[in-house]
Amino acid sequence: MSGLLAYISRRLGVMILILLAVSFTVYLIFSFLPYDPASLTCGKNCADPEIIAANRIRLGYDKPFYEQYWVFLVGLFAGRTYGEGQAEIFCAAPSFGYSFQQNSCVTDLVGNAIPVTISLAIGSLILWLVMGVGLGVVAAKFRGKIWDTLSTAFVLVGTSLPTFLTGLILIVFFVIKAPWSPFPPGGYTAPDVDIVGWFLSLVLPWITLAFAYAAIYTRFVRSQILEISTEDYIRTARAKGLSEGVVLGKHTMRAALAPIVTMAGLDFAGLLGGAILTEAIFNLPGMGRLSLNAVVDIDLPIIVATTILAATIVVVMNAILDIVYAFIDPRVRV
Amino acid sequence: MLKGKKSLKVAVATLSAAVLAGGLLTGCAPANTGGTLTYLTNSEGWTHADPNRNYTGLHIAWFGSYMHRTLTAYDRKAGAEGSTVVPDLATDTGRASNGNKTWEFTLRDGVTFEDGSAITCEDVKYGVSRTFATDIITDGPTYAIGMLDGTDNYKGPYNTDADNDVASYDKAVTCSEDNKTITFNLRRAVGDFNYTVTYLSFSPVPKAKDTGDGYDLKPVSSGPYKIQSYSKTDSMVLVRNDKWNKSSDPLRAERAFPDKIVVKFGQAEEVRDQLLIADKDKYAVSLDALLPTNQSTVFDADGNPKPEFEGRAINVLDPYVRYAAVNVSKLNCLPIRQAIYYAKDFKGLITLAGGQAFNGDPADGVIKPLMGLDYAKTGYASDDPNWKQEGNVAKAQELMAQAKMDCPELHARVTDPKRGIVYDIADSETNKKASAIWVESLAKAGIVIKFNFIEPGSYYAVVLDPSKQGDLSAAGWGPDWANASTVIPELFTEGAGFPLSQNWNDPAYAEFKKRSDANLAEPDRVKQGKEWAALNKYVMDQMWVIPGTFSKTQEIWGSGIGGAFFWEPQGALSFGDLYLKK
Repeated sequence: MSGLLAYISRRLGVMILILLAVSFTVYLIFSFLPYDPASLTCGKNCADPEIIAANRIRLGYDKPFYEQYWVFLVGLFAGRTYGEGQAEIFCAAPSFGYSFQQNSCVTDLVGNAIPVTISLAIGSLILWLVMGVGLGVVAAKFRGKIWDTLSTAFVLVGTSLPTFLTGLILIVFFVIKAPWSPFPPGGYTAPDVDIVGWFLSLVLPWITLAFAYAAIYTRFVRSQILEISTEDYIRTARAKGLSEGVVLGKHTMRAALAPIVTMAGLDFAGLLGGAILTEAIFNLPGMGRLSLNAVVDIDLPIIVATTILAATIVVVMNAILDIVYAFIDPRVRV
Repeated sequence: MLKGKKSLKVAVATLSAAVLAGGLLTGCAPANTGGTLTYLTNSEGWTHADPNRNYTGLHIAWFGSYMHRTLTAYDRKAGAEGSTVVPDLATDTGRASNGNKTWEFTLRDGVTFEDGSAITCEDVKYGVSRTFATDIITDGPTYAIGMLDGTDNYKGPYNTDADNDVASYDKAVTCSEDNKTITFNLRRAVGDFNYTVTYLSFSPVPKAKDTGDGYDLKPVSSGPYKIQSYSKTDSMVLVRNDKWNKSSDPLRAERAFPDKIVVKFGQAEEVRDQLLIADKDKYAVSLDALLPTNQSTVFDADGNPKPEFEGRAINVLDPYVRYAAVNVSKLNCLPIRQAIYYAKDFKGLITLAGGQAFNGDPADGVIKPLMGLDYAKTGYASDDPNWKQEGNVAKAQELMAQAKMDCPELHARVTDPKRGIVYDIADSETNKKASAIWVESLAKAGIVIKFNFIEPGSYYAVVLDPSKQGDLSAAGWGPDWANASTVIPELFTEGAGFPLSQNWNDPAYAEFKKRSDANLAEPDRVKQGKEWAALNKYVMDQMWVIPGTFSKTQEIWGSGIGGAFFWEPQGALSFGDLYLKK
């Protein structure tokens, strides 16, 4: 047990170091982009060099990079104040800065976007796992038969169709051209406001996202099962007289699940960073749309925050998976 | 004619009063009142909801209709009559004295904010003061800064520096003892200052509720509606402002039709258009122009709405003129500028953009025909016998031959394949295709043109910097109000708002400046209009711009919407007149 605790401690320590490195690198990259952050804070008045210069000093962009980064780090733990007097703005910890284009603290914007993205990611994850694993199993079990051919066709369509086109097709046929449709054309309803509305607002986005991922998982699961089926212990199981159902369910799938879970975990973590196209087409105010608009508007504080958060989610998810593996397989702890 | 119009106004006013009286007597709501009006837009929230930061016609039309009142406003009428200035918060359209250098406005009785507190002169004065804080109250018009006398060292109400000259502002803007009359002391004569104050930058803001940049999310209403909720990434919901005093607001009194107004932000452009084309929500209106790919679905080849869209789509001239600003300090040779004008393939460019029916007519200057009093044909473009839509190569070559004698150095650069002239333009696929048309058409006249594609977000920051600007810069401009005083001086005067032409070293500038300055102070509006029209021709004679198009916009709304018309001075639908058909 002490070995396990030591491993977890080491893993968490490494995770913190990686996060610091990620935040430093992201901050460094965005500090050296060919954009002057001061000239992005005063709109059309930024044609006046005096205003830009004043804003540069007011917001601390005149200080050396390492000082700005330190202020950023401190803000994460102590919050930050912008402006003075009646125009003073305080962004509470963890502060990722203030967006002058959104007139809001970045943390608040991210806080509003995350539940939307989580709702989208969890629903589509369930859907694509059910579809992808189910079709993959069917395709493997009926290899070379019509079901396999059909699942191959599904894989081809699913991986070829861009998400925005799938989304648009669903909206046209299930919203615009369907007077009976219960689905809204877009937008998000919070579950605490209207749980049915929340569900209906997410069905089409779930399908859109799951369609693309399910195709990839179908192919992956099929190849995993076919590969595992050739293993000696599967042959032994069959030789012992076990039924095909038991061989598949108890022996083949158990071995196939580990890589599927790993892949799903990482895909889920990636989605939490935002499903940009799906959120844009269905007008879901999640992390993806927040990031996309920040890039379009060159809203640097939001870009820095969403990039760091997306990286953090992946790093944390990796750490969790490693720790889970350590529970499952003692060899990992060494 | 004037008499006839006046009589009609009296008749309409009498009828309105009768309807109002009838409504009050019976206690019934006017017809078409009630329901939820929905707006769809691709935008992520309003650029600004803070009145002092509203600048575009769309924003002023929308917020001015529903939430923010100012001293004067445009009449809500279709056509040229919509450009008439009428009182809003003020009792009249302003009283000028001191040779148009002092303007006075008195507030109506009973005007209130959404919390029921009275709107005072100090609230208007405070709102105007915020526009001086250009580091925080960004993007709004800065006319007060340019016009108010002696305020060079005033930095707005938030600045706590010792050298912030608050006293100068208090002297420039004064309030009467009863706090109802506001006086603006201007540094120069401004004959149309009552047009200037139609801007929401002259709207009142209650000091106690001001939160600087954050006020953009929670502005206090002075109009018939107030914000119930606002999320830039989701929606804005307006509900009736029960503290709005109808009798203090004749402009909106009989117009605040819907009970609720919802704006849905972030709609994917194609989804937004398809929803409206299919009339999925018949009480929805698009806040954006129709996508070019959907124009032919809604309009016929001539640009008229197809029968199924009759009454719920329009294709009209917007307030903007598109042109290429000539950097005269670099292209200081008139025959070369004229050669570019004649060589340009207008037909190719407009066809690339989707055709004349949807993109506009050839511009003959920088003042649009919509400007009424200020517009007169300049004799250029379609009225110029030498101008051809596909370009007049012979005329351009003739001018280049003349340029070779008049200005040989510049001629050598312009025709040198390694140097040529540089055209600044925003980086986009369409502009890249357009560049090929420019290159090909100007090459026929021996002119070499190279393109400087600039990232759209920083385009104006680059071209407004004289050290970075090329020889030509793509631009567009619309009047800030229905007076070319916001066009001609703004575009061609040194130190003005949009001086891309850098024409102040041109030999023709001295006369231009003299006439333009004199005309700014001209109290006779008709006389002033004629002179703006003459100066528009003068600008074209010097070819300080290569004119492009009088551009157009296409708007669409649901079949259940009534009262829609294009409000010319704002270049947008008259949102406050929209109602839900019963």
